[in-house]
Amino acid sequence: MTEHSMMEVAERYIAGSLSQDELNTLKDKLAADLSFANEFGECVNMLRGLQSSGAQKRFTSMLKDIAAQEAKPATKGRTITLRAFYVRTAGIAAGIAMLTSLTTYWAIQHNNKKIASQYSLLKRDLEKYQRSQNQLINNIKEQATAPQAEVRYTGTGFALSNDGYLVTNYHVTAGADSVYIQNREGRYFKAYTVGYDQQADIAILKVEDKQFRFGKGEVPYTFAPNKRKLGTKVYTLGFPQDEIVYNEGYISAINGYQGDSSQYRLEISAYPGQSGAPILDANGNVLAMITGKEEESDGTTFAVSSKALARLVQSLPKDANLRLPKSNKLNHLSLEQQIDKLEYYTCSIKVYKK
Amino acid sequence: MQGSQQLEEYLLAQLAAGERTATEQIYKQHYPVVTKWIQHNGGSEADAADVYQEAIVVLYEKSQDEAFRLSCKIGTYLFAISKHLWYKKANKRQQDPVSLPDDDRQEWAYEDDANAHRERENYYAQLNAALEQIGEPCKSLLKAFYHEDKSMQEIASGFGYTNTDNAKTQKYKCLARLRKIFHNVQVK
Repeated sequence: MTEHSMMEVAERYIAGSLSQDELNTLKDKLAADLSFANEFGECVNMLRGLQSSGAQKRFTSMLKDIAAQEAKPATKGRTITLRAFYVRTAGIAAGIAMLTSLTTYWAIQHNNKKIASQYSLLKRDLEKYQRSQNQLINNIKEQATAPQAEVRYTGTGFALSNDGYLVTNYHVTAGADSVYIQNREGRYFKAYTVGYDQQADIAILKVEDKQFRFGKGEVPYTFAPNKRKLGTKVYTLGFPQDEIVYNEGYISAINGYQGDSSQYRLEISAYPGQSGAPILDANGNVLAMITGKEEESDGTTFAVSSKALARLVQSLPKDANLRLPKSNKLNHLSLEQQIDKLEYYTCSIKVYKK
Repeated sequence: MQGSQQLEEYLLAQLAAGERTATEQIYKQHYPVVTKWIQHNGGSEADAADVYQEAIVVLYEKSQDEAFRLSCKIGTYLFAISKHLWYKKANKRQQDPVSLPDDDRQEWAYEDDANAHRERENYYAQLNAALEQIGEPCKSLLKAFYHEDKSMQEIASGFGYTNTDNAKTQKYKCLARLRKIFHNVQVK
């Protein structure tokens, strides 16, 4: 097939105007010839890109026109009432529905054949990411499992509120029979999951005991509402062993594994058991939570940002009555004093599983 | 309430189809709230208008996806997207990061859409860069077809081809060439 006839087929493929025979021939060829499939995928992508960018261009210029018209001294605007609107648009809407269901069909075909498309490219990255993430998780789990007789995995968690809400990684608690936290005094408290985001790898837990408090006062740190800058110095406290361990490092990339914008990439040592450990800046703002590390390197660690965490908190049912701490009591303290306070609000997480 | 939700759905369907009346109505309806917020947060009137327009473009892009269902009111969506866009813009402009009001929960919503928009814009920019490099007559021909939405008949007569088939053949050749250039642009 010459290049320009490939374009023609791609164009008709997108439009859905290939005959059944042509479509079958194409499918066979795509399945049999990988390099053809790739090239064809590129053609389809580019054509879709051209079509959608063209449509967007036209839309934008219309919008500019509307804006210019609105900027002029106001004429009384027309409002469309539902009734009149309904009659006029029902037909169009039905037309759109038909068209989109067709494109859905093409899109499915398209994905089945594993042709790269602009969207599936993104998706594929995601799949790849998830695979590697799973590998990371597996590694962490395997290593963490070994010594304990009964406790299967350990991780780290930290308080969201003084009355027993805390956060850790989803992969730490996933599939657990029961989860306990161990506080600074070494006492165990049973906890249950109140919400999680598997993709971002976050789980929010609550200590069962209503009397439980992490420390004397409210949680002393705040959660950064936005991403911090490259090079920001950070530190963490976690439980790679029974005793709490301090570590420090810096933000080495604003986005995490494979450009995941919900994560940071950090240069900081992390060991199994430190999953779920808080990442704080010098002023005692929580920026992120450790989720995984790069296998080949020692220091490269990935941490899910506090924004993703806040999103999950936000999505909890209202009766959870969980509000992220608003006042920072650490920002004027020295690092040692900060850590001293933090120790109360950081805990080890023990997971039991048959 | 049922009625207003229906109206919003129709407005969106119209917006998706690029219909002017509905777009105008959406534009007017939410303009004051959004632009006022941007002006309160350090933007000029022109900034506010730019950001607001871009937010509507994001909504338009989203509406092109057949799986798209807006989980909130159009106004809420435009407001959330505008905040992200303004925040990015303001940050780019200044040394010190501008922080959005911490107490505002809505600020975390729909950030992915704003990011996807940025990626799409990059992709389109690369496509356009390739289109600029391709030379004539391909550049004008492809622009006429994709940007101006001209039919192949119009293009055939406009560009002096003897018939539509010749124009089509030329278009496919141009597309094949564009793909090579686009590929190089992306590799860079």
